[in-house]
Amino acid sequence: MNDAALPLQRFTVVEVNAPGVPLCLRLATSLAGKIAADLGAEVLKIEPPGGDPVRRAAPLLPGGSSALFQFLNTSKRSLVLDLATDAGRTALAGLLGRAQACLFEEPAAIASSLRSGPATPIEIAAFPLEMDAAARPVSELAIQALGGLMHMIGTPDARPLKLAGHQASYAAGLTAFTGLAAALAAHDAGRAAPAVRVSLAEVMQWVNWKAASGAAATGTSPGREGDRSEFQVLPCRDGFVAVVYTATQWPATRALIGDPALADPKFATRAGRRQHIAALYDALRPWFAARTRAEIQQEAQGKGVPFGPVFTPAELLETEQYVARGFLAEMTLPDGDRLRLPQLPVQWNGRSFAPRPAPALGEAA
Amino acid sequence: MSRPLAGIRVLDFGLLTAGANTSAMLADLGADVLKIESGAYLDPFRVVGKIDDDEGWWNRSPQFRFTNRNKRGLALNLKAPEGQRVIRELAAHCDVVVENFRRGVLDRAGLGWEALKAVNPRLVFAAISSQGDTGPERMNVSFGSTLDATSGIAALTGYEGASPRISGMDVNYPDQIVSLFATGLVITAVMEARRTGAGCFLDFSQREVASFTLGEEIVAASADPAHRPGPRGNGEPGIAAQDAWRCRDGRWIAATLDAPDDTIAAFCAARDSADAVAALLARGIAAAPCNDGNDLLRDTALAGVTLVRDEAGALVKGLPYRLDGMGIAIECAAPDLGQHTDAVLRQLLGYGDAELAALETAGVTATTPTVGDI
Repeated sequence: MNDAALPLQRFTVVEVNAPGVPLCLRLATSLAGKIAADLGAEVLKIEPPGGDPVRRAAPLLPGGSSALFQFLNTSKRSLVLDLATDAGRTALAGLLGRAQACLFEEPAAIASSLRSGPATPIEIAAFPLEMDAAARPVSELAIQALGGLMHMIGTPDARPLKLAGHQASYAAGLTAFTGLAAALAAHDAGRAAPAVRVSLAEVMQWVNWKAASGAAATGTSPGREGDRSEFQVLPCRDGFVAVVYTATQWPATRALIGDPALADPKFATRAGRRQHIAALYDALRPWFAARTRAEIQQEAQGKGVPFGPVFTPAELLETEQYVARGFLAEMTLPDGDRLRLPQLPVQWNGRSFAPRPAPALGEAA
Repeated sequence: MSRPLAGIRVLDFGLLTAGANTSAMLADLGADVLKIESGAYLDPFRVVGKIDDDEGWWNRSPQFRFTNRNKRGLALNLKAPEGQRVIRELAAHCDVVVENFRRGVLDRAGLGWEALKAVNPRLVFAAISSQGDTGPERMNVSFGSTLDATSGIAALTGYEGASPRISGMDVNYPDQIVSLFATGLVITAVMEARRTGAGCFLDFSQREVASFTLGEEIVAASADPAHRPGPRGNGEPGIAAQDAWRCRDGRWIAATLDAPDDTIAAFCAARDSADAVAALLARGIAAAPCNDGNDLLRDTALAGVTLVRDEAGALVKGLPYRLDGMGIAIECAAPDLGQHTDAVLRQLLGYGDAELAALETAGVTATTPTVGDI
């Protein structure tokens, strides 16, 4: 690959945004298309008249455009087609005839024709085929509940919690990109490319496999443990730090904190630490309270202890590691908003994939 | 079953989830995956998932079994010059390397990207690390939920107005998603290597992958000084009302409403969870039970193709997607330590009895660990 060439630039992918599809499916489709586009594929985003509703979705930027849309549609081209009309469907068929793959969502009215079209279908759905539930209402939260993720987060005597962000959508979007890459690889090798179907519920369950493996091994499901968990988040002088260490890192952790109470034999084994978790955290708390996140990270890393300072998205913009690696691309939108946005989280022979701004509605017409 | 990666061979140094699961996903697509461990260094999943202390305990971890099916297993000592030589010979027969050691470990063994590229210029070398291969924090240690905290996910997760929360050791969320992303990039790089004859070095930062899943929050924070959210409970920007509520049978359900509704808590409290979910769905409201691990095992329709059984009938990880409507068949269970060392060295390198015996005598190959806990 020379400097100018991008790895997927010989491929064309059509991303069909049919109207009326649940937002959580659209975000998955859009993420898969974005990754392909940033890697150089020509991604034609087919929007309904009026545009993808994500153009108006929170969080909004000062100039009024959607941060969510800007993030999920970098490097794509936009075309408006009314797929309820013969003309719209004919135009789409023409585009599909020169595309290798087509991303679309199961509830789309046009889904059945896309499944049998010339471009390899990459289909995003809410639920597995066995649930016979194409019409079942769906949301990000419902998928995190169904896949068991919410059961794992929070305190046992209070509400289960979702993990922040569009994790069900994005895990499915990453999966759909991998399925797309596999289909393109088969195509490239002269083999029949497999049709790919990704459901948010299956991906969430797959991501949460330790709940199933734990339940199968012991009969008892792992679950949210709150202040009985071995790993907790403690306040420090300027924020919070996640207390994380492995069994083999316990002696280093004990030495780092330096409280003689931690030398008590009841803390010597993992089972003992779990049994006396409240006393253990009572001994840890003052050390954290007396230090800043930066001091904690420096002292802990010096002893090989993986404590995690909690950073906000705003703080990540300034984080030394991200700045040094050039992880955040700078971009100026036509309305004047200046952004920094995460690039694809990979460097290929040291190169990042700089995204182009998301397209205006129908700009490729 | 479609096998888009048939003919691709992977040298797999992957450990735990981030590395080992990336290779597992390549295996599921038809690649021949050779998992490399050694007597002195087991995949930590063999140890943290230990279920007994009897002979052979290292071959019985459910977490190892879940993640390493459809691979062949070799035990070769990375610290012994003879072990390093054998691995370099294997690299000449491979298309992909996957590793998630701490930075520098493979370089010190003479098995880093530069060394293996000299043996095989077509290699795609996927290095997965907590912070990436460059930058001032490249040597920082992390474990699972360290990255929930440092990526930004924890800052927005938690009860409203309360402390941030991490996904915790029974989820280790950042480890799971990195394998979904890395697999797609490795496939992309394999296509490019086939076309050009040149491999590449893929540098993945797990922390960046986790932050990438909050892309819109980082974008919003960069343009708008007023965008400084904290833990959001179960709410989301742009959603009128959603949360979890406890039902009459003591179980929790989650629902996303079109508008705030003061009666929903009482509605749930008056019904068993299955009835409440069914009633809400019938009203067009997205609702679901907050399943636990046992619920996931019981609901085979929901499990789809994500959980399957190996040849011994044991439960293992399946596929996150379907190819031509299908899941996968497990063609071989997760390997015992060093189970296929001799067979692979005979098949690929043409080694004979004398060479294999010498490697065993020298402690280069092994089928039992030389260490206890890791």
